[in-house]
Amino acid sequence: MNWTDEELVARSRGGDLDSFNQLILRWERPIYALAYRVIGREEDARDVCQETFLRAFRGLPGFKGEAKFSSWLYRIALNLSRDWIRRQRRAPTVQLPEGADPSEVAAEQGPVESIEDLVSRRELSAVVEEAMALLPEEQRTAIVLKEYHGMTFQEIADLQGCPLSTVKTRLYQGLSVLRRHLEKNGRVPQLVKRV
Amino acid sequence: MSDTFQCGDNTALVSFLYDECEPGERATIEAHIALCAACAAEIAALQSARLQLASWTPPEAELGFAIVRPRASDRSGPRRLRPAAWFRQPLPAWAQAAAACLIFGAGLSLGVLRGTSLNTSSSAQRAATNSVASPAAVTATDLTALEQRLRTEMAELRAMPASTTAAAPQANNAQILAQVRALIDESEQRQQRELALRTAQVVREFDSQRRMDLARIENSFGQIEGLTGAEVREQRQMLNYLMRVSEQR
Repeated sequence: MNWTDEELVARSRGGDLDSFNQLILRWERPIYALAYRVIGREEDARDVCQETFLRAFRGLPGFKGEAKFSSWLYRIALNLSRDWIRRQRRAPTVQLPEGADPSEVAAEQGPVESIEDLVSRRELSAVVEEAMALLPEEQRTAIVLKEYHGMTFQEIADLQGCPLSTVKTRLYQGLSVLRRHLEKNGRVPQLVKRV
Repeated sequence: MSDTFQCGDNTALVSFLYDECEPGERATIEAHIALCAACAAEIAALQSARLQLASWTPPEAELGFAIVRPRASDRSGPRRLRPAAWFRQPLPAWAQAAAACLIFGAGLSLGVLRGTSLNTSSSAQRAATNSVASPAAVTATDLTALEQRLRTEMAELRAMPASTTAAAPQANNAQILAQVRALIDESEQRQQRELALRTAQVVREFDSQRRMDLARIENSFGQIEGLTGAEVREQRQMLNYLMRVSEQR
């Protein structure tokens, strides 16, 4: 049976571990993806993801359900990622793929694309990742939450604890830096060329 | 935000970009973009940057976290590693040397004692023959009493293991069995995980090799086609040349 998050949370609070594990199963990928995109390191993103669920589990008695469970999780994950960045006291190191080796590319992608497409996409992914690492943490987080997690401006503002206009400014500035970096790396989109 | 849009208002452009404008604002911005090339270019550039973002995917990670309740066998207390008992620990080198010296010394003194006892063996033999010569000192009643005592002691010893030592080993055995089962379970799970990982790796490697081979074959075909095309082109040029020459004549 497909329980909603709220139902699973209620059952978990009643001591049902399986329900909480279902919540983990449901949310571990998005939380990992968020942590990875904010931190930029696979191992640390996994650690943050694991710690997020541990904290959520321990904090279940205090979770009153005023916010959505996912928002609560995102908040924990973002706080942990921010702590991690502070601890590092340097720009996050991005694990760039080693060149455009077709074997690596093929190992990670589906079988429908041609090898050229795969290589091209992988290269582009590396450039984007590199550009994202250049952004300040607030701008990067805003873009990640908007682009990859589909949050509204208001949700991002709540998570980041800033006004709505600040979220828009961060998005604009972040996208502008990305665009410049992509142009510099020869990834000028056709649309801009035409204009 | 009002329905009037100021040219160059980037936050409003971001709202438009993500389709989170307030009612009426979208139409205003659309109307403005239709006239203003700069704002149209800005929107197009932001949009294209967004399109590029879609290509960024995080690497696949083995997650599968789960909160696990401690098992019944763990409730009796965590299994702790303790140092081995002193008599099981390996002796240091100096102690081993000292022990060797002690044994050697004891052997030596025994040898010396034996040498001296050889000198007195004749007197000892004499004493022995004297003692053998007087068996009448032990009576039949003494022997019967001794036999009786030995029988009772043996009967007691036989009865002991069945009554006193049966319960404790059973409890110990159950505990040991539970621990062994837990260890086997852990080992099996670990092996299964490793097997899954290895299998996935092999499949990935096989797939990538296949794709590399395909790419190489495609390249080879392309080269062959290119070569064939060049030859055909040359032949055609030659024919054209011959035609031209024959027509001129």
